[in-house]
Amino acid sequence: MEPDEVQLEEALWLRDAVAAGSVPLLVLEEECRIRLASAGACRMLGLPPGELRGQPLTRFLGHDLPLTADGLPERCVNGRPHELTLRPAHGGAVPVEVVCDHFLDAGGRRRSLIAIHDITHIKMIDEDRVWRLGRLSLLNQINEALYGERMTLEQILEAVLHCVTADQGLRFNRAFLLLIDEKSQRLRGEIAIGPSNSDEAARIWHDLSDQQNDLIALMTRYDRSLKQTDVAVNEIVKTMEVPVATADHILIRSMNERQAFRVVATEVDFPGVEDIRRWLGHTAFAVAPLMTRRGPLGVIVADNAISGREIGDLDLEFLQLLANESANAIENSRLYQELQQRLADLRRAAQRQKEDQKQLLRMERLSIMGETAAVVAHELRNPLVAIGGFARTLHRSLAEGDPHKQYAAIITEEVARLERIIHDLLDFIRPKKILRKLVVVDELVAETVRVYEGKMGEQKISLVLDLQAPGVRARINPGEIQQVVQNLVVNAMQAMADGGRLTVLTRLQTGGVRVEVCDEGPGVPEAAKPKLFTPFYTTKPTGSGLGLAISSQIVKGHGGALACRNAAGGGAVFTFTLPLPKPRPDGAEEADSR
Amino acid sequence: MVKKVLIVDDEPHLRLLYETELRRAGFETMAAANAEQGLEYVDSMRPDLVVLDIRMPGMDGVECLQRILDRDNTIPVVLNTAYSSYRDNFMTWAADAYVTKSSDVGELVQTVRELLHAEPVSQ
Repeated sequence: MEPDEVQLEEALWLRDAVAAGSVPLLVLEEECRIRLASAGACRMLGLPPGELRGQPLTRFLGHDLPLTADGLPERCVNGRPHELTLRPAHGGAVPVEVVCDHFLDAGGRRRSLIAIHDITHIKMIDEDRVWRLGRLSLLNQINEALYGERMTLEQILEAVLHCVTADQGLRFNRAFLLLIDEKSQRLRGEIAIGPSNSDEAARIWHDLSDQQNDLIALMTRYDRSLKQTDVAVNEIVKTMEVPVATADHILIRSMNERQAFRVVATEVDFPGVEDIRRWLGHTAFAVAPLMTRRGPLGVIVADNAISGREIGDLDLEFLQLLANESANAIENSRLYQELQQRLADLRRAAQRQKEDQKQLLRMERLSIMGETAAVVAHELRNPLVAIGGFARTLHRSLAEGDPHKQYAAIITEEVARLERIIHDLLDFIRPKKILRKLVVVDELVAETVRVYEGKMGEQKISLVLDLQAPGVRARINPGEIQQVVQNLVVNAMQAMADGGRLTVLTRLQTGGVRVEVCDEGPGVPEAAKPKLFTPFYTTKPTGSGLGLAISSQIVKGHGGALACRNAAGGGAVFTFTLPLPKPRPDGAEEADSR
Repeated sequence: MVKKVLIVDDEPHLRLLYETELRRAGFETMAAANAEQGLEYVDSMRPDLVVLDIRMPGMDGVECLQRILDRDNTIPVVLNTAYSSYRDNFMTWAADAYVTKSSDVGELVQTVRELLHAEPVSQ
């Protein structure tokens, strides 16, 4: 072939290749008018070649395309192809890269060769990347905010949910936060954020974007009380509850496996999913566990119930990241709260102790004063005894009619008066209460003894209750007399280690009621008898030696006497008598005092 | 036989008063100014009854009481004191009587009589 022919052939090949090719190529003449378009370019621009011819490229690329002085697209900006948005004839917008080149045609006029590259795919990845970076940076900011500001637990919980739902955050429609209640071992809904319908949603997002672009500001200064929103979702969250023990429930599994889950609209038959769908009133949702070093704190449940937008992988991923960040902040806040509580408790305890100490000091002072008064009063007595005593002696030795006798009488009287004052003073300082009342002796004895019946049975001791003073009442301190009976019964039981008969009897006699406790033990040796009721006398290795001494004293105090004798047939008999109340002159019995 | 009464009290005027009144009541008396002396008298003079004050310098009446009873637990002891508080102290229960001092010594004398089974003499 002739060189001219080769050239022509190659030119035609080029033309055919380009024309039929899928690579979007255009040749432009003045004012960016399309002269030639490849098949790919036609497809991209949405018009057949016939219609494309003569159209200005700017119709499709807009006026962002930089042009030269003679109306051709600039070659490139900063060494890079133009990044523009292509609007095809069939509508829509496609992100594209446009490469421009210039050439001279046969006539020496400048023409432009355009290659358009659809970068939707790359753009998406790029956007993803940008978004990721943006969100990571955001998470960093959130982290700083959560740990930096001194926020209450409630504020932190709210802030976290804001991050989940805010436009500048993770962009979920609604978020619900559930925390574990240690005491009841249940996962409980605490707080929620989100609109209840799309109108509300639109309003909120509009308001919010007006007010603050700064997520941190949103997190830390949002005043929920100003808004009527979130009411419905908070009602929902309060009903959300799962026992921690239900290990296969999706929320519990999320915590145990430290795993975020996404439930798609079609999935069914996983434990807990139906419950959650019911609570949310929506079928698709995401769950992320709040995990700390010490274990799970709770979960965040998020959905797009308003917009219906699908929950993507990235959404889930970021939800998990946010949950991780938040968990520690929540834990810290809780611990801080606990700490505050303990500090308050400690302060209160310290305060109380201080007060108790003050009280104690006060009482001690009073007591010392009282004691001092008592000591003084007692010390005054001795001299008064001497003065009054000898005055009486003098008085006795003086004759009637002797005026000195009267003087002695006066001294005696005045001393007696002083003694009365001292007596009253001491009584006032330490009043003695004698709690005695009329009690039916038989009933008291029976009650007291019966308590030991069980033990007696175990020891093979048979009890004989022979009470023959029915209805007879004596004025006694019931507690003290009970103590005496108990003492005697216990001694009798201890004397009969191998069993035997224990007899308790009461008899009415003139002026009193006699109570006897008899055992069938070894009895009391003669040598021991005088010492029996003295303090610290005991024959038992574990005895205190005070039982009988105290009992004796009690009985003495009641006007009787405790005595002991050995029975004819062996064994000991302990007896005491309680005097009966004296009948009043008018014949009526003494009434109960007090 | 005339009964001998030992009086132990650190106040000399009271010793005199009690001896006077007890002698008038027909008893023989001896007096000690402190517990140690009192114990000596118990050992050497063998009184039939002891009237014992509690608050004394050196050994007090309660300890003295124990020591007396150690020597002879049949001897009657009357605690005679201005302090009514010792009634609550069970250590004093070993005594046969507890009298609160007053200017009317008659109560003490009566108590001594009863313990020594003497006929009550009308004043």
